Amino acid sequence: MTLLAPAFLAGLLAIGLPLWLHRLSSTNPNRRVFSSLMFLEPGEPRRVLAKKLQYLLLLAFRIAVLVLLALVFAQPAWLRSPAAAANEDGRLHVVVMDVSASMSHEDRWARATDAAEDVIDGLSSGDLVQVVAAGRVAELVTQASNDFTAARGAVATIEPTAFRTDYGQLMRALDGVVRAADRPVVLHVVTDGQQTAMPSRFAELAPNLPATISIHDVADDADRNWAIESFTGSPLTGELEAEVRSFSPEPAERTVRLELNGRRVAEARVDLPANGRAVVEFDPLDLVSGANRVTLSLEPGDDLAVDDTRFLSLKRPEPRGVLIVSSGRRANDDLFVRAALETIDTLALEIERIGVSALADRPLPEYDFVILTDAGVVGPQDAELLAEYVAGGGKVFAALGPRASSLGTVPLTGHALDPALGSLGQGTTVSISGVDGSHPALRGLEGLRSGKFLRYVGIVPAPDDDVLLELDTGAPLLVERQIGDGRVLVYTSTLDREWNDLPVQPVFVPLLAGLANHMLGGAGFTSEAALGSTLSVRALGMEGGQIFDPDGNPALGLGGGTRDVVLERVGFYEVVGGGRTEVVAVNPDPRESDLTSVDDGTLQRWQGLGFEADGRVDVATEAGDAVAVPFGTWLLWVLVAALLMESLVGNWHLRVRRGIAT
Amino acid sequence: MSASPRQQLLRPDVLASLSNLDLVARAVVEGFLTGLHRSPFFGFSQEFAEYRAYNEGDDPRFVDWNVYARTERTYIKRYVGETNTHLVILLDASASMGFGSGAVTKLQYAKFLAATLAYLASRQHDAVGLIVFDEAVREHRPPSTRVGQLQAVLHAIDRAEPGTGTDLKVPFEQFQELRRGRGLVAVISDFYCDPDALLKGVQPLAYQGQDVVLFQLLDPEELEPKMKESALLEDLETGETMEVSPIYMSSRYRERIRGHIDALKKAALRAGADHVLVNIAEPLDDALRSYLLFRQRRGLGA
Repeated sequence: MTLLAPAFLAGLLAIGLPLWLHRLSSTNPNRRVFSSLMFLEPGEPRRVLAKKLQYLLLLAFRIAVLVLLALVFAQPAWLRSPAAAANEDGRLHVVVMDVSASMSHEDRWARATDAAEDVIDGLSSGDLVQVVAAGRVAELVTQASNDFTAARGAVATIEPTAFRTDYGQLMRALDGVVRAADRPVVLHVVTDGQQTAMPSRFAELAPNLPATISIHDVADDADRNWAIESFTGSPLTGELEAEVRSFSPEPAERTVRLELNGRRVAEARVDLPANGRAVVEFDPLDLVSGANRVTLSLEPGDDLAVDDTRFLSLKRPEPRGVLIVSSGRRANDDLFVRAALETIDTLALEIERIGVSALADRPLPEYDFVILTDAGVVGPQDAELLAEYVAGGGKVFAALGPRASSLGTVPLTGHALDPALGSLGQGTTVSISGVDGSHPALRGLEGLRSGKFLRYVGIVPAPDDDVLLELDTGAPLLVERQIGDGRVLVYTSTLDREWNDLPVQPVFVPLLAGLANHMLGGAGFTSEAALGSTLSVRALGMEGGQIFDPDGNPALGLGGGTRDVVLERVGFYEVVGGGRTEVVAVNPDPRESDLTSVDDGTLQRWQGLGFEADGRVDVATEAGDAVAVPFGTWLLWVLVAALLMESLVGNWHLRVRRGIAT
Repeated sequence: MSASPRQQLLRPDVLASLSNLDLVARAVVEGFLTGLHRSPFFGFSQEFAEYRAYNEGDDPRFVDWNVYARTERTYIKRYVGETNTHLVILLDASASMGFGSGAVTKLQYAKFLAATLAYLASRQHDAVGLIVFDEAVREHRPPSTRVGQLQAVLHAIDRAEPGTGTDLKVPFEQFQELRRGRGLVAVISDFYCDPDALLKGVQPLAYQGQDVVLFQLLDPEELEPKMKESALLEDLETGETMEVSPIYMSSRYRERIRGHIDALKKAALRAGADHVLVNIAEPLDDALRSYLLFRQRRGLGA
């Protein structure tokens, strides 16, 4: 027998109360003096004996009630082997193998497979077994069946991955398995109980559907590890910085080796304090044009190899020409947009500002994109030049200002202006209410609603246009139109503070950075991604391209209709398309490097969260091979019976004390 | 003279509020005697009866000096009720006498009764003596008619406190050793003793010509206990305890105590003594009336 909540046994101290009260009662039982006992035969022994018996019986019942109450709260349970428990009614035993990176440490995986095979060996003929690999997602390795041999084989084929496992997400995924089962389910979670895998709320570990939880802890005591926690660099200067983390109680000395495009370029010694960090800096690298693959590895390696190497993709930006066309030579309406673009040094923009009169003299194809501070100043000839530029693959960002508001259509795009759509009451302001968060130029932007718009130009977007930003009134604020090989972005308000205060909001610079990056074709896209994350082809602006995994094999054929690829391996993913090549560095989650396991009590409590449809709570022991079947419900009935008996005996006891004939 | 309604003296709880035992005795006796004037006990008064020659030992206060002046002979003026005898009160002050369920204990009531008897006897010009006892004689006042004897007896009575056990043999033996003349002996006790032992103690006194009256004082709870629930009763004398039920106390016990009282009555009868059962919840008049009847029957006064 075991107790699921032994702390409630402290309630047994309450039996001291009836003992004390009965002692008081027995020491002062209505004592009084009398002249002489001469005529009081020591008689009525039967009655006195009966009273004493009733007294002791009453005391026993009262103690029994308190003991039973404490036991009911303590949830006693019989321990039975899973096989014995399952012999009564066949169950589905789901063997959940934690395949997170930490499971590859030392011989954890060997113990995990042994534990899984022990579970399968203990099953009875009426049981079903299903094997699940729990990594980034819960993968059903086998279906529920009584083919135990196949299950053993499946366990043998599973290997630990570089993914991170989140126990909360795992339990949610297993809810689906439980829901599909036609019989009681026992979830055998074979894991190392990694601390960093625990969800923020313990309740997330509870199954939403009836299921018994049995934790098979395969963690080892020697959980020391060293890992490269972070690795960053500047694509402009080639400066690199890494942070090495020690999860060891003793200081250690390690060597970090730096490789650039497969060639060793630097090496450094690192003194790691116990359970601490050390920062490593390298001299600036001479980055080549295009993508640079930088690899930092820790030597000698340890028992958890996946975090001993970290990858970094650096693409040195090439100078990009940007032409800002203001409404006049002396106009100042380009002040905010120019200042914002100048702060985005990662794009290496070469900004040239001209008045609209000088537009015809500029060789537009040499500029990567053009910004018009007020499209209304563009004359027909200039509009023709710009249209030709866009058709040839150029990009134009056209803002609509006071001059544009007097026109009937937007030059270059031909959008019809709708004065009714763009009219606002005196002193009325509107904000941005609609944001296309999936667009690469706007992804991750926050605070767009902070801008207040006093005026804007109402335009009617065409069906093929993408409305990226929308105002409260429903009027479009930013519209993208594909024209030929190029595209035009129409911004229906000013880029200075004349019609809105967005330029002075913190979000303005990130917005322009995103738009500039988008118009440059994603040249500055994030070149690092976490393992298990999704790489969006659209985000790269390379639709029609192809993605290759670290081994150089195609990871995604776009013809298959899939637009996103899951980064399942660490290393460099290569994206080729649109005449250019991008490299994405994929690294494991640094939380996997911390091998600290939760204590046994936490695992016990996790097991205690399991329940069955009939209210039983099955909990495995520390050995993980026995199932506890609570009998608290039966104790509750015994408690009720004891309460009734206590009442009856108590009443009888009082009748005896009062001398009522019974 | 027609019979009057039964005289009710001061109740024991009222008497208990009186601090002076002399006052208690005086109040009881005066009230009792006042009632007797209209009662069949007409002889009990201060009416003149006869003259008797003065003998040695008589109280000179009772010499009629007028007669002496005329005849030069000393005569004692005697009144109705005067017997010129003695009364010895044997007061049980054992621990059991300390029991009382009401305002007074048996010992307190016994003190009232003893004081009242002493006072009454003194008024009758009887010599009054006192023996206070429990397992031993704790106080002894030989009978005398000397001035101050009454006060001494009353003080001795007042000093009595519940002692230990009861042994009636001791006071009776003491009495026999010290007194050989004929007289009255009033034994006030709860008589928690063997009736045969009592008989053995009283019989020698009867043989000596003593007139013995036994006042058995019992509390209402001893006579008719009204116990509501089982209780652990502790013997006042021995300290022993016994748990009894109310059923027993309301049935079997009453039979036994009645049997004991009857046995005492028979023993007293066989020894030539009178037995008077006194409920200490009642006023003293029954006891006093019994005493006077006892005297009357024994020819000591009418």
